[in-house]
Amino acid sequence: MSEGDRPSVPAVEVSGAVKVYGGGVRALDGLDLVVQEGEFVTITGPSGCGKSTLLHLLAALDHPDAGTLTVHGRDLARLHNLSRYRRREVGLVFQLHNLLPRLSATANVEVAMFGAGQDRHARRARALDLLSQVDLSGREERLPTQLSGGERQRVAIARALANHPGLLLADEPTGNLDSEATERIVELLRSVNASGITVLLVTHDAQVTAHATRVVSMRAGRVVDDRMMEPVRALGGGVAGRAVEG
Amino acid sequence: MTFVGLVGHNIISTIGRSIGVAVAVALAVMTVVVLAVSSSGLEHSAAAVISVGKADFTVAQKGASDLLSSSIDQGELNRVRRTPGVARAVGVLLATEHINADNPVFIEIGIEPQDLAAFGVTVVRGRPFTATADHEVMLGWRAASNFGLGVGDRFTANGTSNVVTGIYSTGNSFGDSGAMFPLSAVQAYNRLPGSVSLVFVKVTPGADPAKVAGRVDYDFPQLTTIRTANQFGRADRNIVFLQAAVNGSTALAILIGAVIVGNTMLISLLERTREFGLLRAVGWTRRRTVGLLLSESLVLALFGVVLGVGLSFAVASGLEHLPALRGILHVSYTRSAFYRALATALAMTLIGGLYPSIRTARLSPLAALSYE
Repeated sequence: MSEGDRPSVPAVEVSGAVKVYGGGVRALDGLDLVVQEGEFVTITGPSGCGKSTLLHLLAALDHPDAGTLTVHGRDLARLHNLSRYRRREVGLVFQLHNLLPRLSATANVEVAMFGAGQDRHARRARALDLLSQVDLSGREERLPTQLSGGERQRVAIARALANHPGLLLADEPTGNLDSEATERIVELLRSVNASGITVLLVTHDAQVTAHATRVVSMRAGRVVDDRMMEPVRALGGGVAGRAVEG
Repeated sequence: MTFVGLVGHNIISTIGRSIGVAVAVALAVMTVVVLAVSSSGLEHSAAAVISVGKADFTVAQKGASDLLSSSIDQGELNRVRRTPGVARAVGVLLATEHINADNPVFIEIGIEPQDLAAFGVTVVRGRPFTATADHEVMLGWRAASNFGLGVGDRFTANGTSNVVTGIYSTGNSFGDSGAMFPLSAVQAYNRLPGSVSLVFVKVTPGADPAKVAGRVDYDFPQLTTIRTANQFGRADRNIVFLQAAVNGSTALAILIGAVIVGNTMLISLLERTREFGLLRAVGWTRRRTVGLLLSESLVLALFGVVLGVGLSFAVASGLEHLPALRGILHVSYTRSAFYRALATALAMTLIGGLYPSIRTARLSPLAALSYE
């Protein structure tokens, strides 16, 4: 994406974000980051560099100690209804799928749509459609314990997409998966991104990074490298993407 | 899936705990209902006493421990009769006697024969006793049926054998289950010469019973008037104490039930912390999250009410048939007992759920998601 093609309002704009945990640990130390609409950004870096903290702040699960974060032009510090923001603006995928163990795959997707103004028929239809999109047709009524790790993560992605978010935040979504399952998740995330949803993904996995349009490297709570990539077109190649010159 | 469906699903998927909570609520509800219906039965028995005479109001000794202990002397009775607005005042002496195991509290009413009609007594067979007869009795038709006695038979009471001169009906099961003696005889048996327990007053046509009763209350500070069952406490302190005991037991049941429900909800909250964190993370409001927890508890409380009321029927029926309580305890299932049961269950759920709900509302989604 060239500079001139970029829309005027970024999907994500982080400016001088600071987050200090108990004991004086500075997870974020004046982080600046701008992500444009439609980008597929992976955030990499060593453990404890603040990657997950950044995602938590963008998901409005936590507050920064300093700095500003805006998502689609909205300053998160000024939001009065965080529940509505979490429900409508962002979709969250965790390393651990965090599915409700007593609910079926369909019901796990449906619970994310409670309060979104849809009746139960519309919720169910949307959940079944999403499960079909993540290739889980025929497994809709299975409990999480009856699904493989990759299938659970696909349910989690379906749940994250339930309310048509503009931004998908994924924290190590393939961290517990084997290579084959990882490829299917990455393929899924790419198709999500292709549908116009901005994807911000924290990962250590080069197999995943290879498919991003941009790779941001963090260290000690700051961005230390930020490069545009030409993503691998074919999946399963196991080859890292090439950095785009300039 | 609907919110209600989710509530039901969560209850069924933790069926063991759900049954535990419902049973705890049921036991508390059962205790409250059994006490309430037993108390209500005693109140109705007492109310039946005053309704025998079909009077506009009844006069009793103020602050007596119970109606049977009320004592009004003949002089006061005559002065009540002279109160403006009083058409007639019938004095009766009430006593009880243990006849046999089936009739441990047999009611005996001492009354002047000339007052029988005014008291609403109809002699259906035989004749009334005479005022001065020492060994004559009339049996209520229910009592006669129970004992298998008729006119001319002998009925032993107060250690003496009495001739049954007649069978009467009052239209009141309480009155029809007892016996009537000449007033002087009951006074003699109970060593209460010149004394009656209650005075049944009928006001003159057109007079306001409430005003006449107020006049009696004013003129006789040592006596009290009763026009409704709710006013029993004025003359029957036992009823007041019983009502206080029922209220105290209800409060205790709510307290114990609230601790059980609250403890269970707290355990549920701790076990499901990640679940609630996740729901908050995907956009559930605090209100909806707390609502889920509370709704599950309320549904279990309602199950507890149904189970508790069912148990209370069985227990109350069992108590009625205990040899020690047969003939004494007559349970009376009133609407208020069931409202009390419902209120008890709701109160214990809401009070018990208060702290877990506050904790749920204050849950940080991030902290909850990382809860082990």
